Amino acid sequence: MRKRIIIRTTLVAVLILIGIFLYTIGQEHKVIIDNKDIIVNGNTYNASTVYKIWVDNQEIGVIEKNGRAVTKVTGVSHKIVIEAISDQALSGEKHERIFKFKSNEGAVINIPAMVNALNEWIDKTN
Amino acid sequence: MMKKQSSSKKMNPGVYFLINYSVPIIFTILVAFAIPLSKLSANYFVTEIMIRLSRNSFLILALLIPVMAGMGMNFGIVLGAMAGEIGLIFITDWQIVGMPGFLLAILISTPLAIIFGYFAGIVLNRAKGREMVTGFMVSFFMNGIYQLIVLYGMGNIIPILNPSILLPRGYGIRNAISLIGIRQVLDKLIPLKIGGILIPVATFLVITTLCVFIAWFRKTKLGQNMRTVGQDNEVARISGINVERTRILSIVISTVLACYGQIIFLQNIGTMNTYNSHEQVGVFAIAALLVGGASVAKANIPHVFIGVILFHTMFVVSPRAGKELMGQAQLGEYFRVFVSYGVIAFSLALYAWRKRVEKENERKKIMGYRKSILVK
Repeated sequence: MRKRIIIRTTLVAVLILIGIFLYTIGQEHKVIIDNKDIIVNGNTYNASTVYKIWVDNQEIGVIEKNGRAVTKVTGVSHKIVIEAISDQALSGEKHERIFKFKSNEGAVINIPAMVNALNEWIDKTN
Repeated sequence: MMKKQSSSKKMNPGVYFLINYSVPIIFTILVAFAIPLSKLSANYFVTEIMIRLSRNSFLILALLIPVMAGMGMNFGIVLGAMAGEIGLIFITDWQIVGMPGFLLAILISTPLAIIFGYFAGIVLNRAKGREMVTGFMVSFFMNGIYQLIVLYGMGNIIPILNPSILLPRGYGIRNAISLIGIRQVLDKLIPLKIGGILIPVATFLVITTLCVFIAWFRKTKLGQNMRTVGQDNEVARISGINVERTRILSIVISTVLACYGQIIFLQNIGTMNTYNSHEQVGVFAIAALLVGGASVAKANIPHVFIGVILFHTMFVVSPRAGKELMGQAQLGEYFRVFVSYGVIAFSLALYAWRKRVEKENERKKIMGYRKSILVK
């Protein structure tokens, strides 16, 4: 009887853990990518050029100056790569960042802040 | 010398076959007549049947275990369908997508399906001999509870974080929810295209696994207990089988399988009608099983697939056949609905008639035997 209770309790605990795991890896998060001017500590960082965006190795598209792109990602950890476009060709100037989500979070990523390696390059939203 | 009395006429095997399989035979004739009339292309027809086989088979397989336990056709699978839908509402609210969303919906809805199945089993135990109509009524009752929870409880007592699935008033789930996040996630898991027809390999593998499980289950102790209970409750009780517990278990298993079947069904469709998706589940699944040649007392795996093919072929061809024949597609649809309900009524009447004839023959056999002893 006692053994049966222990086995059943363990099974329920394992199922709950599996549920939490599925919840974490399966949740979709909204990511907004802005190529807009940003003011940080009184300094203005301008959106200077057009960028091509990849998130988790998936091409999102090209964002013009003062433009915005929206994408949805699934799971906890993600990678964003941006590459400047000059004279209608990729310049080779790449910037890469890893970002992570908690439950029910979204993010707004600012490209000029990212290019200038500012801490404010990502703003998490609920 | 003892005179042997012939107590019952032996039926012609051909007539016996025709009576036993009257429903699939009638359906085959109807379908054979309707298919050329509908003028549908072979490619379209095969694609539709493939989709419907993958979508519906799991639900209908869920009906086999209560039949084995002598509980007839389980109209209470609607309860399992509701449990599945509650799981899908939660994963849509939490925005869990893809295969994790599909599996999480199954995980959430399983305990609900067990509770609903247990409740249905207790009620059906108090209505021995009238399980089918009781199951029908239980499903209506639970539909009311489901609507109370989903239409008033969710957003009020049960927090719903995603405002896009709530009604404008701020509580209650919308009539239709998009399941775009898990749409065809199981069907497209192992994609295979043959001659332009997409075959949902993963779904068929899941269905095959269930068929193997049912075949294996019949040979287990619990399965044998259910078969014994299905044949005769009193003999089972004397043999030491807990009849009530076995019956409840059969309904619980059926409800849980129906829950998974409904999730598989809805992931294929990609949209959930919150208050309607589960309504016709019981009737259509049972109609399909009966069309396949099953009866209230006997249902096997081949009946499921034959039934899905024949019954759902009617779904596909009736509107077009009705349009070609009578100029109105809606008439074909009415005909299909009439046939769906009619086949259940006909099968039940046929079963009742056969049971009565068998009882009469048994009685005559016993009377003839007693007379022969007296003569001796």
